[in-house]
Amino acid sequence: MEIYLPVAEMSVNWLVIIALGLGVGFLSGMFGVGGGFLMTPLLVFIGIPSTVAVATTLSHVTASSMSGALTQWRKRAIDFTMAGVMLAGGILGTLCGVWLVALMRRQGQMDLIVSLTYVIMLGTIGIIMLRESLATLRAYRSGVTVSSRPVHRGWIQALPFKMRFRQSRLYISVIPPVAIGFAVGALSAVMGIGGGFIIVPAMIYILRMPTNVVMGTSLVQIIAVTAITTLLQATSNYAVDIILAGLLVVGGVVGAQLGVTVGARLRGEQLRLLLALIVLAVGGGLAWQLVARPADFYSLSLEAP
Amino acid sequence: MRRALFALLLVIAWPAKAEDLVSGISQDLIQITSNYTGTQIVVFGAIERAESAQGRDIVVVVRGPDEPMTVRRRDRVAGVWVNRDAAHFEGLPAYYYLAATQPVSRIASRDTLARYEIGLDQLKPSAIGSHHDPEPFRQAVIRHLRQSRLYAESPGSIDFYSESLFSTRVPVPAGVIRGQYNVEVYLFRGGQMVSAQSTPLFVDASGLERRLSNAAHDAPFVYGLACVLMAMLLGWISSVLLQRPA
Repeated sequence: MEIYLPVAEMSVNWLVIIALGLGVGFLSGMFGVGGGFLMTPLLVFIGIPSTVAVATTLSHVTASSMSGALTQWRKRAIDFTMAGVMLAGGILGTLCGVWLVALMRRQGQMDLIVSLTYVIMLGTIGIIMLRESLATLRAYRSGVTVSSRPVHRGWIQALPFKMRFRQSRLYISVIPPVAIGFAVGALSAVMGIGGGFIIVPAMIYILRMPTNVVMGTSLVQIIAVTAITTLLQATSNYAVDIILAGLLVVGGVVGAQLGVTVGARLRGEQLRLLLALIVLAVGGGLAWQLVARPADFYSLSLEAP
Repeated sequence: MRRALFALLLVIAWPAKAEDLVSGISQDLIQITSNYTGTQIVVFGAIERAESAQGRDIVVVVRGPDEPMTVRRRDRVAGVWVNRDAAHFEGLPAYYYLAATQPVSRIASRDTLARYEIGLDQLKPSAIGSHHDPEPFRQAVIRHLRQSRLYAESPGSIDFYSESLFSTRVPVPAGVIRGQYNVEVYLFRGGQMVSAQSTPLFVDASGLERRLSNAAHDAPFVYGLACVLMAMLLGWISSVLLQRPA
């Protein structure tokens, strides 16, 4: 049951890895997220070095986004122009992120930065989602329909370099999409995530894209960013483990399909509430590791200074 | 077995002088395959012109390739545990196993042990980069590698089959790195090293694992591309195979 991971240079039980892929894939299929934010901490938890975990999780995200994107593509619900513009920022962001990873590794702060970014991102997003889903559930019970139609802020309309995005029926500046792409690209490299849980709200609330193209477009963006980040991680940090990636992907794609089936039976607000709780639990666990007294104050890494 | 016979032959054929040592290992190449979870090698030897067992000791040391190591100490900063001080070591082995007839402190003096780096206490880095007292950091290396069973001392684990024939089993755990290892066998009498022999042992990945690990370093772009394409292909296959009617 043990299999040797040639890049991580360690043996793992391959059933555990497949199960991990299945479980995270199930959740990602159910909630429509990539699942990188769960996978990376879990891999670190079972002892995979954090650099390898971050770099390898991306393949899992690529695969699960691929199958989702194909479904959306059949419905013609993808704005390729928007995805392309965001990707321009995304590539720059990934380059910065991978450079940052190499720098942090030299400083010995990789684990700290990964954990801190996770705690901040998961904490913020978890609380926002929790509040929103609770408000919706309460409103639903009292029979009031809440309008969550976002209002376009003036400053976005005032920005230069406007461009027409036909599929999204938008005429806006390219600066916000490029900036969002950049931020997600950088986070993707540092945290090993696709960034769906950032892109989707950003597309809806900041760019005001129609919701029917948001899912497909964000998935295309995620595939491109994770593919590029994988390449960069492989060439600059030698941190992608193809055996680990393969096992995660196989479990992930099967789990995702099961998750979609189950997710379709649950109501949107319940799903969001559940996801909010999972996000907060992962964030809380990581926060605890940061503040709890470590069992050993010394850590060892086999690397040159 | 051929080595054992060879050793015996030497015992018989050598001209009689002082006590001497001949040793061998059960395999000189360990291949890391996809299901490698650690293995064992047997180190055996014979003492030529064996005198009395009294005051005689055998020490077997298996030493892995030296690896640069970095130890970091966490300190509490604003409520969060952060890596602060660090020490870098060169010249410490990534694997160290010692078997002996009794605890090494009883076999020879500290100076003698230090000269041959016998015993975990005697492992000394060849270069240290640290702004602090490096000793607690060196201790941390030993503690961590002991926990992962890459460092071990096992006194009293040498089996004697006769006055002069002995063997010991050396565990090689899953976490070993690739490279050249050395099997050193020492013969002590009355606290003095009488004879020593060193045999190389190679640990290498085999077949697919070796090719993948090499590819990741030698052709990282192609390797990365293969990962991406594999992920995309599996994503696509799954969406075709498992697609539910919409």
